[in-house]
Amino acid sequence: MSARYLILVLALGVSIPAQADDYTTTPAQFVYCTVCHGVELKGNKSVDAPKLNGMEQWYVLDQLQAFKSGRRGTNSQDLIGREMRPMAAVLTDEQLRQAAVYVTSIPTLRAEATLGGDTRRGETLYATCAACHGPRARGNEALHAPQLAGQSDWYLVRQLEKYQAGIRGSTPGETWSAQMRTSALVLPDKQSMIDVAAYINTLQDST
Amino acid sequence: MADPFTRRQFLNSVGATGGSAAVYQMSMALGLLPGSAHAVPFANVEALGKSQRSVLILGAGIAGLVCAYELERAGFGVTILEASHRIGGRNLTIRSGDFVDEMGHPQTCQFDRHPNLYFNAGPARIPSHHHHLLHYCRTLGVELEMFVNDNKHTYVHDPKAFGGRPMKNREYVTDARGFMTELLAKAVNKPDFEKTFSREDTERVLEFLRSYGDLSPANTYEGSLRAGYKSNGMVIPGELKTPVEFSELLDSSFWRYRMHFTEGEDQCSPLMQAVGGMDNIVKAFVRNIKSRILTNAQVKRITLGENRVDVVYQHKGKHKTIHGDYCLNSIPKHLMAGIDNNLPNDYSTALASIGRGKLFKMAIQMRERFWEKENIYGGITWTEQEIEQLWYPPHGIHTEKGVMLGAYTFDAENSEFFARMTPEQRFEEVLKQGEKIHPDYRRYAQNAVSVPWHRMNHMMGCTAVWTAETRERWFKRLQQPEGRHYMIGDQMSFHPGWQEGAMSSAHWTLAHLNDRIRHELSGAAVNA
Repeated sequence: MSARYLILVLALGVSIPAQADDYTTTPAQFVYCTVCHGVELKGNKSVDAPKLNGMEQWYVLDQLQAFKSGRRGTNSQDLIGREMRPMAAVLTDEQLRQAAVYVTSIPTLRAEATLGGDTRRGETLYATCAACHGPRARGNEALHAPQLAGQSDWYLVRQLEKYQAGIRGSTPGETWSAQMRTSALVLPDKQSMIDVAAYINTLQDST
Repeated sequence: MADPFTRRQFLNSVGATGGSAAVYQMSMALGLLPGSAHAVPFANVEALGKSQRSVLILGAGIAGLVCAYELERAGFGVTILEASHRIGGRNLTIRSGDFVDEMGHPQTCQFDRHPNLYFNAGPARIPSHHHHLLHYCRTLGVELEMFVNDNKHTYVHDPKAFGGRPMKNREYVTDARGFMTELLAKAVNKPDFEKTFSREDTERVLEFLRSYGDLSPANTYEGSLRAGYKSNGMVIPGELKTPVEFSELLDSSFWRYRMHFTEGEDQCSPLMQAVGGMDNIVKAFVRNIKSRILTNAQVKRITLGENRVDVVYQHKGKHKTIHGDYCLNSIPKHLMAGIDNNLPNDYSTALASIGRGKLFKMAIQMRERFWEKENIYGGITWTEQEIEQLWYPPHGIHTEKGVMLGAYTFDAENSEFFARMTPEQRFEEVLKQGEKIHPDYRRYAQNAVSVPWHRMNHMMGCTAVWTAETRERWFKRLQQPEGRHYMIGDQMSFHPGWQEGAMSSAHWTLAHLNDRIRHELSGAAVNA
């Protein structure tokens, strides 16, 4: 680029292409996702939207189907889940599949640790979780257990609270979810949830 | 020397050769008609002269449009990036066939196509003292008409009072004042009171109370014509209405807040609206802005540099980077955490500390203006049901149909109550509640459109919710620029949710920007 052109660009605010590999192009039909879940679906706590990048395709699809069918996001106390539900309900089954493909096309970003928490205590508490979610929290589709490593700590704590309160895990016929509820009830208090989430946050860096 | 050829003579000659259309076009070009680009700059932005400066504006709402309008007049290079499919932000007027981009519940407005049949889903009233807004309406040729906010002929309704029956506002207010002043008069009429006030003042206080509450000479409230006649009163003597029991008035919660609503700073009469829809203000700006406004341009990253701000956005399936010397950002604060940026931590904390308002409106097209048969011409009926308010259109009087507000909720819980429903469920619920006030309501209703602002695409919130604490702690921090980046919009004012708040924020920012550029230029001159 000539110096003269550069000056023109700087002065007049002319657009030039961004680094092509910086961002995933959002398909027009899924711009909605990014409004709440943020750029690269990195999550936005201000609107209670979790991080989606890094989730497994089978789990994204399963949860979208759960929202659409009412397996999730219908409990009267699940106010945030109920905000998500119409977003999935408006999509066709094919669009749900496309959405899952889109979500998983985004590179996994690091989840920042935001809550503090005692990772050593969390490690001890995590033993129960490891049975299904795996020792490195990479998940296990056979057990219907999603990956937890790389999820936002605040979101993990909030879901544990929902499971404990029966806001999640109480839908009749949802056996995996009911099992998760039983496991969540093992944690004695909120600090334990924070500690577990803090430990899980350290696992994203392990291989 | 006298002008040898006046504008009028010139136009006459144009008309002789080109006809009336040519005169109109030429008049526009000469700035002789409203709506043309002759408006004088209002903000204090000095012309750049030979210098060049570029400004990126994020968000094509009222604040962004005002900034673009003023800056381009001062010679700045301006680009506006707007994430949604439309220009105007929350200044949104919905008409026949319009697309309502609600998250999860996209709707298309089914109103008849008629100039009177529109719905101001966002701002709908203009107070007489909102001088920035009125300036732009005046100079950009936005025709205004009166808006009725305060109407004593509307209803007051509370399921817990008066057996759930609606009561005319004037009856409630007259009786409430009557009883309150009678009570006060009793207190004043005691020997003790003269220790505080002289006998003369006491008499004057009593006189004030008699006048204020329409009391009898004996300082008692016996009913008042202010509540309206029970019967006739035109050709035979009118009969007073029997006052309701004071305790019943107190049962209704109307007195707590809503009775005094139109005394509010921004709610007192008279107010105005734009003829044909509030978005005529947006259209007027767009007519007068030459700068590029890109819609469907979603910002992904804002990078503050020492000498410029870089913004990455996606537009038409491609990512682009744009640079500006300055960036004026009206993106809703709660969405900023979802956009990559290098703003400092305390600034991001400040952005995240401001809540997002939840307001909901539903408008219904009514096949007949039934309210006019109930002596209602504009104004608001207040109810303690979730719908909170019914608004009757002040325009289109005695025409066939009307679009009225069937719900307007200020309470976040009430807004959520409706937002969680499908548009069809909302319509049914709004009708169910409305018929408690107007028994035949449902019969007139033809179709409806609803806007829960905290569920609208690219917004996810209405008015920014500042608390006394967050204002004290963060307002100045966010009002001051961070490097070359400014937060703007009604969210950065003490009047969130008002166009005047957005414009005031824009002007504050423009004045600040002007000062620093003057400083830069004078520094450059010294160095040269």
